[in-house]
Order: sequence, then C-alpha cells, then structure tokens
Amino acid sequence: MAGSKKIKKQDLAQLLSQWSQEFSLFVPSRTSGLAEMTEYDGQDISFLGWYRNTIIPPKASFLPHMEEMFSFHRNKQGHQLELPPLEEQKRLIFAIRPCDARALTILDNVFEDTYPDPYYRGRRRRAILVGLGCTNPYDSCFCTSVGSGPSETTGVDIMLTDIGDELVTRGTTKAGEELIAGSGLVKATKADQKRAEQSQEAARQKVTRKVDTRDMASRLQAVFDDRDYWQQIAAKCLSCGICTLLCPTCYCFDINDEGSPEKGTRCRSLDSCAFPVYTKMPMENPRDEKWRRVRNRLCHKYEFYPMLFDTIACTGCGRCIRLCPVNWDITQILEGVPELSQAEGPK
Amino acid sequence: MTITDISQRKRFLAQGNVYLPHIAVIERIIDETPGIRTFHFNFKDERLRGEFTFESGQFGEFSVFGVGEAPFCISSSPTRQDHLGFTVQRVGRVTNALHRLAVGAEIGFRGPYGNGFPINNLEGKNLVFVAGGIGLAPLRSLVWNVIDNRAKYRNVDIIYGARSPADLCFKYDLDSWQKDKTVNLFTTVDKGDDKWKGRVGFVPQVLEGVAPSAEGAVAVVCGPPIMIRFTFPVLEKLGFAPEQMLTTLEKRMKCGIGKCGRCNIGNIYVCRDGPVFSYAQIMNLVSSEY
Repeated sequence: MAGSKKIKKQDLAQLLSQWSQEFSLFVPSRTSGLAEMTEYDGQDISFLGWYRNTIIPPKASFLPHMEEMFSFHRNKQGHQLELPPLEEQKRLIFAIRPCDARALTILDNVFEDTYPDPYYRGRRRRAILVGLGCTNPYDSCFCTSVGSGPSETTGVDIMLTDIGDELVTRGTTKAGEELIAGSGLVKATKADQKRAEQSQEAARQKVTRKVDTRDMASRLQAVFDDRDYWQQIAAKCLSCGICTLLCPTCYCFDINDEGSPEKGTRCRSLDSCAFPVYTKMPMENPRDEKWRRVRNRLCHKYEFYPMLFDTIACTGCGRCIRLCPVNWDITQILEGVPELSQAEGPK
Repeated sequence: MTITDISQRKRFLAQGNVYLPHIAVIERIIDETPGIRTFHFNFKDERLRGEFTFESGQFGEFSVFGVGEAPFCISSSPTRQDHLGFTVQRVGRVTNALHRLAVGAEIGFRGPYGNGFPINNLEGKNLVFVAGGIGLAPLRSLVWNVIDNRAKYRNVDIIYGARSPADLCFKYDLDSWQKDKTVNLFTTVDKGDDKWKGRVGFVPQVLEGVAPSAEGAVAVVCGPPIMIRFTFPVLEKLGFAPEQMLTTLEKRMKCGIGKCGRCNIGNIYVCRDGPVFSYAQIMNLVSSEY
C-alpha cells in the first residue's frame, strides 16, 4: 500500500467541508429516518458511530427511485420536448461500502452497453466513490462468497480503512489519487498500514455467512424446469418487491407519463420483477405465477446476468436477507440448489 | 446465445438521447377491423424523413404524450418509404389513446429497435408466410418487401386467417395479393358469415392442406401464441427443420433497448435480441417462458 495517507476521524468534518466545495457530496445519514446517502449538510459526521450500511443502496444516486426523463408541452407549433438540466457539479459518494461500489460496476455493464443510458451515465461518469471498508459486517453479509469482500476496491476511487482514531486512505484510481494528493493529508506510517491490513483481515474473518457458488449457473439450469422445486422455494414470498427495490444491483425500471397531453413529464421509476404487472400483456402474462417471478429474480442474478457479463449480479450486501418481511434468505436457497450429478457435470 | 452485437444497427437519436422520442404526425388512419387501426405517420423533422430507414420486422416505441409509450412493429415496408405505418389493436391504455387520435395528431416515436427478419437469408428461397389476425402486421412489411424485389425470391405462399371475415386485417393487401399472379394467397376464417364464400378453417389446418414443400423453403409465422403453437408441429410434419421456421415473439417492453428488464426469456431480451427468432433458437433458450 505504497502512497497511503491518513486522516484523524476528528478532522474528517473539515475534509468533507473542503470536498463539498468541489463536489455535490453524499454521506450516510438518517435524517429521513431511513439510513441512506444524502447531501452533506455541514459538520455532522456522527454516522461514523452508527453506520454499518444504508438501507437505500447508493445506486439511488445514479438510478433514482423516480426521475424525470424529459418534459413536454404543446404550443401552436406542436409538442415541444425539453430535457432536464444537466447537473454541473460532480458527485462524491463518501463512505460507500465495497459491496455497493462493486454493484455500480455491475450496473455499468447494463447502462453503458451499446445504447448508453444518458441519465445514468451522466451522473456516473462525473462521480467519485470513496469507499469505507467494513469493520462490523452484518450477520447477513456474504460478500466473500460472491467475489467481493469487506475491503474490496472494485469500483472505488479511494479506499478508507478504519484503524481506530484514524482512517487510512488509499487512492485506487488516478482520480482518487489526485483528490487525495490535493487534500493535504499526512502520510500513513508503516505501522498504520500494518494496522489497516489487520483491520481488513479481521473484517474478512467476521463475514461468516458462506455460500458455495461454484457451478451455480449450471446448477440452477439443471433444476430450471422443476416447477415443484420453485413453487416450494417461492411459497412464502409476498411479491412485495423489497429485495429488488433495495438491491444494489437490481436495475429494472418502468417508463410512465405524468400530466396531460398539453403539459407533463415522462418519468422513469424503479420497477420489480417481483410484481405480476411487470410482465403483464393484455392477453397473457409469461410470469403471472409467483414461482416464475422468484425463479427469474434468482436466476437473473446467478445464471442469466453471468451468461451476458461473466460475473454474478450479486455482491453479497445482504439487504434482501435483512429487509425481507418473511425472511426469504437467498443464501439458504442457493445452498439448497442441488449439486450437479457426475453425469450432468459443469457446462 | 451470448449478448447480441447491436453496435451496427442504425439508430436515429433525438438530441443524442436514446429515450427522447421524435415527434411524428398521423397522416392517415385506416380502420382494419372494429378494434384494429393502422396509422400512417411521418416525422416532423424534414431531415429525419429523408434519413430514416428500418428493416421489416423491426419495431418502435410509440407514445401518446401524457398517456405513455408502447412498442409496435412497423407494418409498412421499407421499400415504400412514402409513409411509415403501424397497426394497433385497442386493448390497453396507450392503444386506447392511440385509437382516439385523429389525422394531424402528434405522437412520439423511438426506434427502430430489434433485429428484423433476416432478409438476406431469404433470398433464393421459397417463402411460406403464415399469419393470423393482427399478426399480419409485421409480415405484410416483409411480404411487400419481397414483392418489390420479386426476382430475388422463388415461390411465395401466404396463408392468412382470422377469427371471422370482419377480423381480417389489411383487406386491401389481400385484394392485391389475390390478383398478383406471382404470389399464392390462401385466406381463411375460423368461422364464416352469410356473405363469406371463402375458406373456413384454422390456419394450421389450411397450412396442412396447402402443404408447401420444405425444400429450399423458409416459413415465417406470426400470429397469436395459440396459432404459433399449432403451426410449428404442422411445419415439422411437412419436413421443415427448426432452422427453417421463423417467428416474432411478443413481450411487454418499456425501453426497447435491453435495459428495463421485463422482456427477458432467460438471458435474452426480446427487444434487443429479437423480436425475430428461428424455432431452432427458441428451442435452445434457457427458459421456456416465450
């Protein structure tokens, strides 16, 4: 960890104030009563005391629950369309957890695909992510089973590691290194770096929930057509959609008009494959049955998305386990997917 | 099937924004059946009128401002660019709003999206078109495309049916194809009425009776799922291999560009990877939710 610097926690408010001059700065907060990333309001860094992770994932800063795509109004010349103003200021998301930063790279694959999404891309390309390694993961976290970890740096520009009274900072991209260099931080000593490594290793040990995801795509495909199997798995699901709406890697959306033909907006809002209406057509619905929707959600993350982008679309943040009202536990379900028999073998 | 390379597909973005529609004007409305209308439209932007191209089988996202957007295939032929057309059955919110529009009304259009029919692979082939009801909409684009380049193709058989004589769409096309000696049209209805003197029978049965040869042939099937389900076995019986059968799949769609999620069948997105698939491709999909 050559080039690491550090900052005292008590000096953090000052650093954040400094960054908030240059960036639209988002930090963990509970001002709404719900843990989420909100715009930094000044001096409050009390989140360092309570913050384990937000309930609303930071994807909301890039793919908001609801957003205006454009507005329209009709005048004598006909319909006039107007795009919302571009945000001039760069965003800085402070203390994003490694699982959630990595999740954004999973969304990037979709939104940066051949037809780039102008709204997502506009925000994402102008954003700096400052990750905060986990020291106190939840019991429901399983990041280490899906290629991530409590100090994983994929997606972040700067990684912070908690070593007690101080945070060790390390730039992991050019933009991150430059930002640190210009922030007047002091150099971390060898001893600091040693403590950071120990802190990271200790956190890793605390992620005790494990899932064996080897051959998972093939294993899911092997049971794909077993209706009884999926009906049993889906039995207690309420189709409430919480697991998808609060998932950092779920991106499904709906497009709807608000207003009248004279004046209105076209909006995008998060949607969920848990809802029957999501796939409903006038004459039929391919996923009217709950077990098909549950199957689609699980298989999208662990079979379909990996077929397209070579990585599991789950970062083990555990929100869908913590926040599910009926305790539908994805790790239990994954553990229960039958191993491939010798004959089937991995594909 | 891996991710489809769509980088070469033509795109006509309004202000560079993939979700921003072009404004188009309804120029003509044709009542096909009591519940189905064809709309001819053209773009307000003169330059786009000149530049816009598409392929038979591609679709667009059409919108009524203040109501919403819905996908429809372009039912006109790229060989006849004097107008663009789409055909709509009145079934939901957007389709009802479209049916309330008059000539001169403005709509939004994004597209063209999807793969379209593999027209180059059809050259030199005997073509068997099988359609039911409003399923003729994507096919008529292809049929006119073929007729306008008639020398490139061999036999053309068109088998088209609807529930009743009143439900037959594109009667003006059926009239011209009936008179056209270079194509063979077989029109049928599930149930006739007092005035109907033509064939009565379901499309798959009529297809079996017509019995087109599978040799050097491609069948293109569009219609309600129930018709498609019964047509494929008949084609197989006639000796068509799964690679020789094409169809279009229909799913609820919002974005049209493989992002919003809902039109997936396993790992494929009907809007981006389809809507045209061969039966061979469909049989190999990881999911049977087609």
